[in-house]
Amino acid sequence: MDFTFSPEHVALRRMIREFAENEVAPIAAEIDREGRVPFETLKMMGEIGLLGVCFPQEYGGMGAGETGYCILMEELGRVCTSTATNVGAHIGIGAMSIYLDGTEEQKQKYLNPLARGEKMGAFVLTEADAGSDAAAIRTRAVREGDSWFLDGTKTFNTNGSFAEIVTVLAVTDPTLGARGGITAFIVESDTPGFEVGTHENKMGIRGSSTAELIFDGMRVPHENVLGKVGEGFVSFMKTLDMGRLTLGAACLGGAQAALDWSIEWAKTRKQFGVQLAHKQSVQWMIANMATEVEALRSLVYRVAWMVDTGQPFSQLAAMCKMYGSEVASRAIDMALQIHGGLGYTRDFPIDRAFRDARIAEIFEGTNEIQRIVIASNIFRQHGVRIRP
Amino acid sequence: MRIIVVIGRVLDPEGFVVNRRRGRIFVNREEYLIQPADRCALEAALRIKDSRSVDVEVVALPRCPLPDDDVLRLAVATGADRAIYLTGDGVAKADDAVMARILAAAVERLGGADLILTGATTMDTGQAQLAPRVAEALGWPQILDALHVEAADGRVTAILKEGNGYVTVETDLPAVVTVPQDTVKPRYPDGVRLINVYKREGEMATAVEEWDVAGLVDAEALQPLLEKRGQDFPPERERGVRASGTPEEMARAVADALGQRV
Repeated sequence: MDFTFSPEHVALRRMIREFAENEVAPIAAEIDREGRVPFETLKMMGEIGLLGVCFPQEYGGMGAGETGYCILMEELGRVCTSTATNVGAHIGIGAMSIYLDGTEEQKQKYLNPLARGEKMGAFVLTEADAGSDAAAIRTRAVREGDSWFLDGTKTFNTNGSFAEIVTVLAVTDPTLGARGGITAFIVESDTPGFEVGTHENKMGIRGSSTAELIFDGMRVPHENVLGKVGEGFVSFMKTLDMGRLTLGAACLGGAQAALDWSIEWAKTRKQFGVQLAHKQSVQWMIANMATEVEALRSLVYRVAWMVDTGQPFSQLAAMCKMYGSEVASRAIDMALQIHGGLGYTRDFPIDRAFRDARIAEIFEGTNEIQRIVIASNIFRQHGVRIRP
Repeated sequence: MRIIVVIGRVLDPEGFVVNRRRGRIFVNREEYLIQPADRCALEAALRIKDSRSVDVEVVALPRCPLPDDDVLRLAVATGADRAIYLTGDGVAKADDAVMARILAAAVERLGGADLILTGATTMDTGQAQLAPRVAEALGWPQILDALHVEAADGRVTAILKEGNGYVTVETDLPAVVTVPQDTVKPRYPDGVRLINVYKREGEMATAVEEWDVAGLVDAEALQPLLEKRGQDFPPERERGVRASGTPEEMARAVADALGQRV
């Protein structure tokens, strides 16, 4: 067993950490306060190849694999969850859906500009009545000759308000349901019939954009069907598996940051004449945080290695997302406890981290859904098929 | 046009803590960076390359003995066309005098160069004599602490700080120029180049060559003048005296404390 990172991944982390410290961290509080997407940072990331970190170089990517992508998400998650969210929606589910199921022509036409950062991507699934019950979507796609016409409204679309290339899920045969009746499409946002609706005023990740998207008779050429007609639901679930792993990586970064703040504070802050580090109650919290962070790190990078070596990983990706989001929330909560009253003020980054972390237990499949995925896999391995 | 950039490495200051009382360094994360001033020199070289319509080749060479070629690969990932990693028994203990002789010989082996750029001072040891020694070994003019560098038409122009103002100086190429830390914002490595140069793939497969110094200079030239015999730390600074009370009381306490020290 070899747990060391390759030289290229060590070098990549060093590069990303420097970028995150110099370009992302200094504006993290500002974009949260102003509720704005850091387009200037995303542009820079595109220029140095980070927005295509995991994709092969023949599609405009960097070729650093899923391990490289997890490194990116961890380092971004450590300094700014909003930026990690923008990047995750672009790479991890937007561009990834095209990489996993696109034709060669689709990859050259759409994945290439996404991986180079020339265009931004989004992945559009959720509807008002189809959240955890993703198969209950109502957006319809009707075929007429070589075209499909999309009608419906999608909600909670990260990057949806500015993405130029969007993958969207729609019902193509209401009689067949999720298995056979739902199809994925690649759409371009400058097509007539594509409208951006309400922007969500969120509690956290305020430096990311979450908007409603309305498809009003939007024409999509048949060549833009992603994967096969009727297999869109499976295709999207496959993409979400990848997204869950890297969301776990972003949570790892957030938890690591909380641990780092806590250690620094415990070294600096004195009470009863000694540093907090000498107090057993604080030591135990630090020990718990550090143990969970290391356990999460092992899980995340083991699953990244499984993806890079072509092994099945769906169940473990769900664990990454579920465990990662809960570790991050617990770590930030403990960091707040260690910082005491000062940590509760907006002078400290814990306020932002606290609000940002909470969404990770909800989006890309709630943690309740992740537990269902994990349990279903476990019972399937023991000959029991769980009923929904 | 060929520009040589001489670079070294420094332990990432964020990755270690110095415990002066115990006289030990605790390394939490052993990662090395290109010396910040050398990185500015690399950036200056790449800006000259970007601004010129003629071909400019940027070659990175080490400023000191390196246990591996990591920072040279990083230089190539950042934009240097190639790098030379110097190895061999003689290089391991090389001091600046030896390195200057090796670098001068390496420039000759490369077929000459138009400009050598390097950092003015190293971040960890405050070393600043390599560039003058290389200039001396090659018989080239030198410009030290250039805040801005341009090279064209057989001449190099640099802006230096002088008193409260600045002065522009110029000399014929070839020349040696040093660049201080924080004079330019260095670019980030290019992701694709970085992956390829570390994986030794594609055009980057042979971007970092390995040269044995035994083939560059004779054994006598490899004898160092200095020998490193260990390291120590100055004692931890004592905390000051905190004065409290009325202004008069505080003034008296400060005066007493100063009196005791004298």
